[in-house]
Amino acid sequence: MRWVGRQWHQRVWVAGLIEPLRFTGELVITAVQAVAGGWQVRRADLLRIVADSSAGALPIVVIVNALVGAILAFVGAVQLVQFGAGIFVADLVSIAVAREMAAVITAVVMAGRTGAAFAAELATMQVNEEVDALKVLGLDPVGYLALPRVLSLMWLLPLLYLFGTMAGVFGGVAVGAGMLSLSPVAYLDRAANAMDWRHLWLGLSKSVVFGGLLAWAGCYQGLRAQRDAAGVGLATTRAVVGSIVGVIVVDAVFAVCANALGV
Amino acid sequence: MERTPHTTPVIKVKGLTMRFGDRLIQEHIDLSLEPGEIFAVMGGSGSGKSTLLKHLVGLLPPAGGRVLYGDAQGGQGGVTDYWASDEATRQQLRRRVGMLFQSAALWTSMDVLDNVCLPLSLQPEKPSLADQQARAMEVLQWVGLADAARRMPSQLSGGMKKRVGLARAIVAEPAILFLDEPSAGLDPIASRRLDELILDIRERTGAAMLLVSHELPSLMDLADDGIFFDADSKRPIAHGAPKDLCDHAHPTVRAFMRRESLPTPAAA
Repeated sequence: MRWVGRQWHQRVWVAGLIEPLRFTGELVITAVQAVAGGWQVRRADLLRIVADSSAGALPIVVIVNALVGAILAFVGAVQLVQFGAGIFVADLVSIAVAREMAAVITAVVMAGRTGAAFAAELATMQVNEEVDALKVLGLDPVGYLALPRVLSLMWLLPLLYLFGTMAGVFGGVAVGAGMLSLSPVAYLDRAANAMDWRHLWLGLSKSVVFGGLLAWAGCYQGLRAQRDAAGVGLATTRAVVGSIVGVIVVDAVFAVCANALGV
Repeated sequence: MERTPHTTPVIKVKGLTMRFGDRLIQEHIDLSLEPGEIFAVMGGSGSGKSTLLKHLVGLLPPAGGRVLYGDAQGGQGGVTDYWASDEATRQQLRRRVGMLFQSAALWTSMDVLDNVCLPLSLQPEKPSLADQQARAMEVLQWVGLADAARRMPSQLSGGMKKRVGLARAIVAEPAILFLDEPSAGLDPIASRRLDELILDIRERTGAAMLLVSHELPSLMDLADDGIFFDADSKRPIAHGAPKDLCDHAHPTVRAFMRRESLPTPAAA
């Protein structure tokens, strides 16, 4: 019984709740200190993170979202054509992409790409004692390593979401033109009329939260990794799985709230 | 180097106990590091030598005992208990310390020059970038790596990484240097070169050094005093300069210092 209790305490209470809350608290404190002018970060490192998380990720985000838009259009078209309502594929795809799919798909892609990279990089720094070397100089690893990554993804993921939304709509255009013989101009006109600012603001809001969540998970797992090669792999896996599950849970919360608010 | 009786040690450790969770690493550790002295921490693998450095520099909290920092130049100023101090005081104490890690721990996202400049950029007086780079180049010249200033750590050999790590440790002119296995992984020539560099640093800067090593030639050449950790009893079992420990009464110390095998129980 004592063993069970100790395991529950260590794995569920401490590792599952206390440690993540402590890390979140440290992030918030360093963010406040940064606003007050106490942020110590190298500009070169920040620019490298931003470049890799934006321009470096754009091609895969665009391709995946375009394919998702095409798949949505295809599945929708199969049903709607039976009722002579093929043109409403444009409504279906634009609203679904703007409200849900672009934000979620972009977040999942970035979890596997950038979130994993954050976890692996920070875990490797732990193994190589680079994090210890920062601490000896008086640098807080949370403020120096984690905060730039979290803030970067919080404003970059919405930008990627916008590109993803456009790519999804154009993926639908390709199916509409190829399968339903719809003119691209008519399709895009229909899509523009169906989509309004509510959908885009909802998607943008989700993207900000998803960006913070992905970076949080990657940095948390990386800075707490075991100091060996297996630890790096475990940290990366946990970051990706945790991010994806977190994105789905947060998306569900957003869906409930949006429904309650009539958004 | 002879100990001056009237100076305050730069670091004094009293009754330190080190643990990882329930696992005891070492206990009852008492040592003092005098100004300008090179003090060796010796012992077999896994005896807690590197762990001691981490407790002294603030990376791991002790399970018991005290770590006292004295006046940086060994004057008669007061001592400060590191682990009983607030974070601001600990940060001030850490500024007196430069550390060479076992793996050099160079930041892989920065080139050699930026690695050596970073400690300078964090100083309270905030020197300009030009001044930082000038000082960094001066130190890189000293360790023989000025030509490698713009190389990335992945482009350096093991010996070069150690020398860059040493340059980074001394660039801010610390009063105390912690050297964690400086010769580990180096060939005999590179190891000898690094030892000469360490002596040169002591000569030029007067820094006190805590040297963790199990490389006997380096220990014999460098250390003025030392302590020997025993992995079995989890306690220090010898104090003294390495060259004086070759005839120590304890068989483990004697075997270590003479590079001999310990007698097996059956043979004994």
